Amino acid sequence: MSNDSIFKTFLVAFLLCVVCSVLVCLAAIVRIDKEAYNQQLELRQTVLAAGGYQQQIDDGGNVDELFTTNFELKIVDLATGEYTTAVDAETYDQKEAVGNPELSVEIPAELDVAGIGTRAKYAAVYVDKSGTVVLPIRGTGYGGMMYGYVSVATDGTTINGLTFYSHGETPGLGAEVDNPRWKAQWPGKQIYSNPGTVALKVVKNGKFNPSASDAINTIDGLAGATNTSKGVNGIVRYWFGEHGFAPLLTKLKAERG
Amino acid sequence: MSKAKDALLDPLFNNNPIALQILGICSALAVTNKLSTALTMTIAVVFVTAFSNASISAIRNHIPNSIRIIVQMTIIATLVIIIDQMLKAFAYEMSKALSVYVGLIITNCIVMGRAEAFAMKNSVKLSFLDGIGNGLGYGIVLLAVGFVRELFGSGKLFGLTILSPVNNGGWYVTNGLMLLAPSAFFLIGFIIWGLRTWKPELQE
Repeated sequence: MSNDSIFKTFLVAFLLCVVCSVLVCLAAIVRIDKEAYNQQLELRQTVLAAGGYQQQIDDGGNVDELFTTNFELKIVDLATGEYTTAVDAETYDQKEAVGNPELSVEIPAELDVAGIGTRAKYAAVYVDKSGTVVLPIRGTGYGGMMYGYVSVATDGTTINGLTFYSHGETPGLGAEVDNPRWKAQWPGKQIYSNPGTVALKVVKNGKFNPSASDAINTIDGLAGATNTSKGVNGIVRYWFGEHGFAPLLTKLKAERG
Repeated sequence: MSKAKDALLDPLFNNNPIALQILGICSALAVTNKLSTALTMTIAVVFVTAFSNASISAIRNHIPNSIRIIVQMTIIATLVIIIDQMLKAFAYEMSKALSVYVGLIITNCIVMGRAEAFAMKNSVKLSFLDGIGNGLGYGIVLLAVGFVRELFGSGKLFGLTILSPVNNGGWYVTNGLMLLAPSAFFLIGFIIWGLRTWKPELQE
């Protein structure tokens, strides 16, 4: 039979499609099985890193075990700062909620210092058994949206740790936002000076004065990455402000005070 | 035997896909900021070129001429999807670092070029070797570029610190250009220059 007959052409095309689609399906089945677990593991690692458990992971601690024994997932209504069951904690996807008008609110331009446009009504936070809370944060940097977690101690004002897990900053400059050495200056800093006033700020690299009276509220910015530093500053001002996590932090402090 | 040796070794230097044929430049820029990503990409491309060449060669006498490009494309795409999915399943961090570039092997001219130019006319064994050779020829340039970029860009090799960078409290001021894609252009240019000086018969 000639290779170029219509019948042979369709036959070859059909057989090829059958074989290839079976192979692709098999590969996809294997991947789907593993991917959900991989993503969960990554999230847990990020939350643990922000919550101050990085050392224990580096020392060979089991991520799943550390996470499940220490952290509890809770949903917060950002407007009131109260924990809520309005959405199912296990299936709630905060990133998806941002695009859903029913689950998000538009941020007035003058309040939108982090450059995010809309934010979800509910935030998925992780509560450590010590009382520390790990909060999701995001904001526009130099190369697009930066996503991270920040943890705040039980007094509602002391930073316990910070980490960024997704950003598009310039390698070697803004991308140093995830450099452990830079992040090491965050723990111990104070978010609020007077109750309700966000004092924590990121200043231009080199403008940080360790002996100044506000050194406890100041983070030295990244060298050669002024816009990234400004982005982080915006994130801090927005997410610790009244429109962000301030109601939750005030409530937590009152409960424990 | 010498024919098999030629099929395998020729693409390394004499007929290198990147340095001589100037194919596959796009991914060579994108995945070479670290040696680990360059190595993974090399393995992925060797796998795809070798098996696509072998399978296309195996059915070459049955491929209708009118649909031959689409048949090659389907086989190549299947192999690329398989390796992409496997990376996502078993090397999640790595698949995130390589992002879309594994998927883009489909559009890598090396794979398609070898299928059309070599596998359609040669035996399965020779085609398989030619695929490995071309994959490695691509990989050798990737690894060379990755070596220079990771060493001078982050002071590391395979993630191990060699030159302690200032950002981590060391002494080495990292070369920021090496972390950005354009540096790969310069390095590939130097490689092409070096290769053609070493083997003047390659000059056009």
